[in-house]
Amino acid sequence: MRVGDLSALLREWMHRLIGTMLRRRRSDGDLAREIAFHIEQAELHLRSRGHSAREARRLARALSGSSDAAIEALRMQGGVPWVGMFTLDVTLGLRMLRKYWGLSLVGGLALAVVIGICTGVFLYFNVFWSTALPIEDGDRVVALQTWDASAQRRSETSLDDFDRWRVGMESLEDVGAFRTVERNLSVDGGAGERVAVAEMSAAGFRVARAAPLIGRSIVADDERPSAPPVVVIGYHEWQRRFDSDPNVLGRSLRLDDSFHTIVGVMPAAFGFPINHRLWIPLRADAEGRLSAPPLGSVFARLAPGFELENAQAELTAMGLLPDDMRAQDAPPPRLLVLPYAQNFIDDIEPDQYGSRASTASMVVLLMSLLLVPPALNIAVLVYARTTTRQEEIAVRSALGASRRRIVLQLFVEMLVLSAVAAVVALAGVWLIARYVEGLLVRQLVELPFWMDVGMSAEAILLAAALALLAALLMGLMPALRATRQFARPGLSGLTSRNRARLGAFWTALIVAQVGFSFAMLPVAMEMAWGTLRAHLLGPGFPSDEYLSAQLSLDTDAPAQLAEDPTAQAVAFARAQEELLGRVRAIPGVIGPTLVSAVPGAAPLAGVELETNAALPTDGEPIQAAWWNRVTRTLHVDAAFFETFAARPLAGRGFTSDEFSAPSRSIVVSQRFVERTLQGASPLGLRLRYARPRSSAEDESIEQPWYEIVGVVPDIPAHPYDGTVYHPLAQGSVQTASIVMRLVPGTQAFGNRLAEMAATTTPPLRVSEVTTLDELYSAQAFGNYVGGFALVAGTLSVLLLAAAGTYALMSFTVNDRRREIGVRVALGATKARLLGGVLKRALRQILAGAAVGVAVALFIENQLPAGSNGGLDIPGALPIGALFMILVALLATLGPARRALRLDPNEALRDGG
Amino acid sequence: MSNRKEGARTQFLRGTLDIMILRSLEALGPLHGYAIAARLEQVSRGALVANMGTLYPGLMRLEQRGLISATWDVTENSRNARYYEITAAGRRALASEKKEWDRMVAIMHALFGDA
Repeated sequence: MRVGDLSALLREWMHRLIGTMLRRRRSDGDLAREIAFHIEQAELHLRSRGHSAREARRLARALSGSSDAAIEALRMQGGVPWVGMFTLDVTLGLRMLRKYWGLSLVGGLALAVVIGICTGVFLYFNVFWSTALPIEDGDRVVALQTWDASAQRRSETSLDDFDRWRVGMESLEDVGAFRTVERNLSVDGGAGERVAVAEMSAAGFRVARAAPLIGRSIVADDERPSAPPVVVIGYHEWQRRFDSDPNVLGRSLRLDDSFHTIVGVMPAAFGFPINHRLWIPLRADAEGRLSAPPLGSVFARLAPGFELENAQAELTAMGLLPDDMRAQDAPPPRLLVLPYAQNFIDDIEPDQYGSRASTASMVVLLMSLLLVPPALNIAVLVYARTTTRQEEIAVRSALGASRRRIVLQLFVEMLVLSAVAAVVALAGVWLIARYVEGLLVRQLVELPFWMDVGMSAEAILLAAALALLAALLMGLMPALRATRQFARPGLSGLTSRNRARLGAFWTALIVAQVGFSFAMLPVAMEMAWGTLRAHLLGPGFPSDEYLSAQLSLDTDAPAQLAEDPTAQAVAFARAQEELLGRVRAIPGVIGPTLVSAVPGAAPLAGVELETNAALPTDGEPIQAAWWNRVTRTLHVDAAFFETFAARPLAGRGFTSDEFSAPSRSIVVSQRFVERTLQGASPLGLRLRYARPRSSAEDESIEQPWYEIVGVVPDIPAHPYDGTVYHPLAQGSVQTASIVMRLVPGTQAFGNRLAEMAATTTPPLRVSEVTTLDELYSAQAFGNYVGGFALVAGTLSVLLLAAAGTYALMSFTVNDRRREIGVRVALGATKARLLGGVLKRALRQILAGAAVGVAVALFIENQLPAGSNGGLDIPGALPIGALFMILVALLATLGPARRALRLDPNEALRDGG
Repeated sequence: MSNRKEGARTQFLRGTLDIMILRSLEALGPLHGYAIAARLEQVSRGALVANMGTLYPGLMRLEQRGLISATWDVTENSRNARYYEITAAGRRALASEKKEWDRMVAIMHALFGDA
């Protein structure tokens, strides 16, 4: 029990902390004066009682207690001792970083790369896989999903089912729905702009628990068929279109042919249901269906007292109304109640939702293990360095420092290094996150309101935890071994018999370090080349002159089309042809061409070769391994190859007949011939696509065979994968991309394209307008980061291995000073000296090389370059091995020179 | 300081030293450390002897809490001494502690059946 309340206690601790951190406390001299005065007074009192001066002095000291103890107690009270010691250790650690800057640089770089990778991966999962909503009780907001098991994707929901659920479900409240529609927006008669609008129930604002900044949100009355049209606008729309007019309520804006009165403005952070900025009521008499996520969904809040399982059971029991559009033999859709954000991640098999979180944790955990190799490498170097500080440690031990204190100091030195590495890693990740955010903004990609691309507290904690783990590995283990002989205090631990040795354990670690570098270097070279080649060498055409955009039928297409896939395909084809015709007529445009995906971003598929008709190379059938039988697949129209100036290198292109009906002719790229066909002549060869494992199709139905009729150059150049081209029948795909080449000066074409597309019949929706240069740059960014991390990691492992060899050699020379001195005194030549000194190091290097080469050969056999994303580099293994041997030999130069320059008199005098 | 047998001394109950220091300063005004120790010994008739290793950290603690203040001054004998003085916060804390002590004493009296 101490006197004073909590504020007094806090004040005391603040004084003590400030006293420690800023050295603002009473000086020892001041304390000593006060204590001296006390004893003096005690003496005077005793003398007044009749004691002699000497007796009074003796008694005063005996009765008052020890002056030294009093001053020590005052020092303890004046500060926070453990903070003071920690601050001192950190200061020493920083000095060590400067003194051994080589180890700090190399070791810090290796740690920073690993910590950065782990933190980056964690952030990725946190941003893109997290389902936490930044709204009040966000974990109770759910989505109701209809999962089409036969097509393995989320599907639409009928408005009738939505109405039933809204009225009938007890475990959910505020059941609402939204769908994203496109409208032509104009204000005060100005130019129109195609915008996405959320047609949403009033319940959406209640679910999001968001109050408008001005006015009101959509209410139930607005959903009546006869209600006047209203709109709620977002903060940025209010700023941009209305100059933040405080009297904006009551003004109107035009959406297509309808004028909507503005009734409210939402705050800047509000984007529910996804990232919307304009909201109109979902009318009770609305037609059509709710689109599949992300364009539409049913949402709700769990009612008080109910949990997800209750809602799931109730929804399953309610089920779906009969649907004439569904095939009779098709499995019924599954109804799911999910955490809201989970509904918009992707088409994921429902049973796999639970495993995503554990997958993410497992990936982060496994990546954290990457910390172990560099940490152990550094531990070896730290141990070797610690053995050279034996005198310092012995003196400290003799002065009273416990083993625990010394070990703690050595641990804190490493903690400083790993903390600096963690800060560098976090800075790097933050910069990358900022870049990614800017890239998304430039490409007009708006993330859902619950995704925030930025550093999170959890990521910082993860980096801190990894730094602590690294410090434990690097600092604790070597410190414990190096201070073992100081179990008994005093300078007696300093005899030669008790000096720390670089024994078998540490030698084995150095050999493993060298071996790991030998094994890793060729693999890393191939992976880095595979990752970076395409971006370093360029696409082979002026990609900044090529514009691409994705086309799809507008979500407001007439209802009949939504119910008739054939009519939809015909309408899509007609609209595409109309748009292509208009674009062709514009001066300065070369092309355009219609493709199923942008070249360089086409989907991957596995293929099977018809080997019985294969034309063998050198008499042997084609034996392409499984990783070489993955290819990109692209549907292209008649103008594609001309637009990209790609003339056939063998065979022919497509004929006009092949575009008007489903065709079995294909054209392949040069890379496909190299990689999948192993250089065999491709003309006349047949292939088919491998059936995906999750396909629900009947396995008895044969996949069709396609015949190769021509070979074209790679588009873009130097790709990793080959490409198979199919003729594109217009309207045959749900979405298509239009690509055109623009004469320099006409690049501001994106908006015009959207306007043209909106006026076709039926209207087309244009999205993801970008130049191919921007697209490839965005792809390159991720590869550059990965490639840089690979190079930096490999470089640091290399340097650490070299440093380990250097440390081993240094230690050997140091340990054998006396012996070397004797040999020199007896007349040994430099060559013999060098041989004797290098022998041990060379043994370690060659042992490491043998292990490393064996491991590299094993890896090459089990995981060839093509299977791990790398590109085979002829001679990578011998080149890498020679390089490593050279680096290791260079590392021995310094200690070898020291050995040759040793003064035998000094060596013999100092002893061993 | 009188010489007492070890067994006659009473150990300071935890926290009571602080109260005794504050009360001494409140009663007698500014005092230096030795005077406080002498006062405590006098009041307790030699039962309580505060050695320097206990007294001065306690004074520093009270000063850090803002319950007393300290300045160097000159004694009657022209010696430099550090004088301690109770603050307003110290007086309030003392009053609060006294109240708590009175309450505890009453309870203990009742427990032991004292009148």
